Amino acid sequence: MIMRPGQQLLLPANPVFIWGSLLLALLMNMIPLGRVAWTPDLLALVLVFWGVHQPLRVGIGAAFAFGLAMDVHQAALLGQHALAYTALSYLAITMHRRLLWFTVPSQAVQVLPLFVAAHAIELAIRMMAGGIFPGVSLLLAPVIESLLWPVVSIVLLAPQRRAPDPDENRPL
Amino acid sequence: MPLGTLDRSPPPFFKQGPSALSKLMVFSAIALFLMVADTRFRISQPVRAVVATVLYPLQWIAMRPVLALRFGTGYFESLSSAQATEEAARRKLAAQSLRANQVEELTLENDRLRKLLQLRDRINTPATAAEVLYDTADPYTRRVIIDKGLAHGIEPGSPVIDESGVLGQVTRVYPLVSEVTLITDREQAIPVLNARTGARSVAFGDPTSKDGPLELRFMAANADVQSGDLLTTSGVDGVYPPGLPVARVLKIERRPDSAFAHIGCAPQALVEGARHVMILAKSGERMPPRPHPEDTAPPLRKVPK
Repeated sequence: MIMRPGQQLLLPANPVFIWGSLLLALLMNMIPLGRVAWTPDLLALVLVFWGVHQPLRVGIGAAFAFGLAMDVHQAALLGQHALAYTALSYLAITMHRRLLWFTVPSQAVQVLPLFVAAHAIELAIRMMAGGIFPGVSLLLAPVIESLLWPVVSIVLLAPQRRAPDPDENRPL
Repeated sequence: MPLGTLDRSPPPFFKQGPSALSKLMVFSAIALFLMVADTRFRISQPVRAVVATVLYPLQWIAMRPVLALRFGTGYFESLSSAQATEEAARRKLAAQSLRANQVEELTLENDRLRKLLQLRDRINTPATAAEVLYDTADPYTRRVIIDKGLAHGIEPGSPVIDESGVLGQVTRVYPLVSEVTLITDREQAIPVLNARTGARSVAFGDPTSKDGPLELRFMAANADVQSGDLLTTSGVDGVYPPGLPVARVLKIERRPDSAFAHIGCAPQALVEGARHVMILAKSGERMPPRPHPEDTAPPLRKVPK
């Protein structure tokens, strides 16, 4: 296994944790905070994260299903989030071998175009379907999402960074 | 190093399933099909209903923090502001009591006069109370979700009002909740009547406009409209009962280059923050039957001889 110098060897990911984190992100997306265009899409962020780190477990089909759930919850056009998440997941899978060679801050810069693309897909579809232009604050959403990338990297990789042999000195 | 430190199961070399690109193609095609089905053919309601029912427990959980916050702020609200609210409510009640007491008498008088003139009886509309759960997060539309659905007998197309005016119309009904499109949505239009002049027109939602979120379209540039005019529902559509307040004219712009005036209105209902709403039954069923449409086939052209 070829790895970046200085990269920590991680424990195997727990599937329960992966799907639990995805469900939690869906739940946090569902908290009704009003109609704010720049709300970061946490579900998209977590989907890209697992698409990069565990491409065999979280694939395009799961992204599509979560997208449908978001569409129905937001009463948006059916298939709008599904298409955006499908594209997002595909892009994450294509770049997953390259991305993990970089440090976390430069990973955040490299995932920014993905989130921009996802929001651009949604905007283009809705403008074609005759929606209201939500304002330029929509541009903030992908920036916030990629700023949250380091946070998500720390939180979601924490269980895999535990000690392989816990003892009294290292209980976790 | 103990076992389980590394992922011991090797990744499959040959059985990798379809490639990511083919999966992308398939799922994009399904998504595009769903979009077309949703906008053009309106056949996606069963899919939505199933997903909405599965999501309902999650939505219920996601509502809890917001409800707790609402309850908390209500609980810790200072006594003086509560007293001020009560005082304002009492003053409003006193102002309305005179008219409210006259209503019975006026209704009776109206009934008798209508009988005398052999007019059709006024239509009474049954109503269901509901609470707004949340504004939809979709920034491209203006919709809210209310806590009554198919299980409570809500029908799509029913008008929704709050205490001060028309709020919108039920557009989708799920088993336990329903979706209301506000009158300020871009695809929503409501037939109105100018209460001062009696002129009928149609108000369209125009949420990004600076002159007010409703626009009165197709009014002639010299039409008699003044800022401050109250617009009420006209009832000609058979959906909204007549006489409900809709909006007040805010700004009139008469442009020399256009045959129509640009009229911006402010909705009377609290479109941004309504909590308690009433869902009225559609008045269409209790309306007299529509006249039979004339034969619209083009007349046969006489063959010139």
